[in-house]
Amino acid sequence: MTAIEVEGLAAAYDGAPVLTEVSFEAAPGQSVCVLGPNGGGKTTLFRVLLGELEPVAGRLEVSGRPAYVAQTERTRLDFPVTALDVAVMGTLTHGRWWLPASRSDRAAARAALDRVGLADQAGIRFGELSGGQRQRALLARALVQDAQVLLLDEPLSGVDPASATLISGVFQELRAEGRTLLVASHDVESARTFDLVLCLNGRQVAFGRPDAVLDRATLEATYGHELIVLEGGRGAVTVQHHEHGHED
Amino acid sequence: MPSPIDLAELPFLREALFELVLLAITGGVLGAWVVLRRLAFFSHAAGSATFPGLVVADASGVSPIVAGLAVALGYAGGVERTGGSGREHGEGTALFLVAALATGVILASDVFESGAAVDRLLFGTLLGLGTGDLVLSAVVALVATAAAVALGRTWSAVGFDPEGAEALGLPTRRADLLLLGLVAVAAVAAIPAVGALLVTAVYVLPAAAARMLTGSIRGLIACALVLALAEGVAGLYLAYWLDLPPGPPVAVLGAAVCLVAAALPRRTA
Repeated sequence: MTAIEVEGLAAAYDGAPVLTEVSFEAAPGQSVCVLGPNGGGKTTLFRVLLGELEPVAGRLEVSGRPAYVAQTERTRLDFPVTALDVAVMGTLTHGRWWLPASRSDRAAARAALDRVGLADQAGIRFGELSGGQRQRALLARALVQDAQVLLLDEPLSGVDPASATLISGVFQELRAEGRTLLVASHDVESARTFDLVLCLNGRQVAFGRPDAVLDRATLEATYGHELIVLEGGRGAVTVQHHEHGHED
Repeated sequence: MPSPIDLAELPFLREALFELVLLAITGGVLGAWVVLRRLAFFSHAAGSATFPGLVVADASGVSPIVAGLAVALGYAGGVERTGGSGREHGEGTALFLVAALATGVILASDVFESGAAVDRLLFGTLLGLGTGDLVLSAVVALVATAAAVALGRTWSAVGFDPEGAEALGLPTRRADLLLLGLVAVAAVAAIPAVGALLVTAVYVLPAAAARMLTGSIRGLIACALVLALAEGVAGLYLAYWLDLPPGPPVAVLGAAVCLVAAALPRRTA
């Protein structure tokens, strides 16, 4: 039984191919780290899995409609919505986009906020939350959707340690519930903690268990000159991850 | 100085007052979304873009409201097609506004003879507000309120995070088209009273000031509604007193309130 099954997938924008030869599968409860440089195809893969972009080749099967957790930088911080408002947005996937939120919608949103440790911040404006709290509010919006598959775009980037621990804990719970997580990341070292790793660089470079995939040759094929191998060859970081660290 | 009681006692002023109250309701409810979704330019342009329709209506005897609605809805559809869902529509707004104004000028100067009726529709008038104008404004106020209650969280989701809204599976383009269409129809409804060129006075300025004074969507709508009402009534009184069309004093008051709000300590981030 698989939650995601992708075979020979290719995607293009305006006829120009941006991602080819992608084949992988993940079972319920598994976590997949999607590694790749900027422009490597991570977001394109997510868009295809969300049904926003039609693949030009291949086939895919996804268990239900995935929930997506975007990077907080994509949101408008000046928009006057509270953490609760953001979580309630997750109920819009239930198909009643032309109706106001119901009491049960609000209850589901409050439960999700409680789960990510934001119950006391429900009434605070999104733009006034810390970076980690914002990420947790967006995660709450995804939890409300009750999806079997969650797609997360660098969920731990720029997040304070307390929030990172909390978010990682929620990920563990979600996996225990049988939900499948696809996490786009630049963090090569954290990729070792996932069940599976998918390396993309315009095409699929590698897919498999971390110990089989995360070798120097694969990472160089994935990141090219953007890869920085740490002294002694015991680890590696990417330029993007290195830069994120300084931004935050 | 005339008595403010005239506003309620003189029939033509009473009608104008009723019209401005209806526009204030729309201005509060819809204006909040105009400001939140950064549609101020579109709102202004939707009124101005009706110019060619008003010229043709004046020359052919067609109802200016019908002609204005046709042009404004076509305008909204054209702008929506050129923009992405949930994103700003500045380029499309400018493109179609320039085309509409140029067409209007050619029609007014070379094809038809533009009459005084067109001038009144560009700047508004206290006189001649008909039952049809009031009915249209009432329907727009009702529909705008119902739409804001029903679609508020969808408009909010799209405005807050366009990509996230698409990922939620929301029909973002349809939701945007509904909002743009409503703003365009509301702009036409405001034309008889404040004029095509000053629609902004009702739908943008009160909400823009309210945006600076409040920190929540509900607060923004309530504050915009109160400001639109106050500015409308005061503007109408000034127009009556100074023998002006109502659009300019309402606009000047709206701009003054905005400047005062901008000078106050900001409550929003």
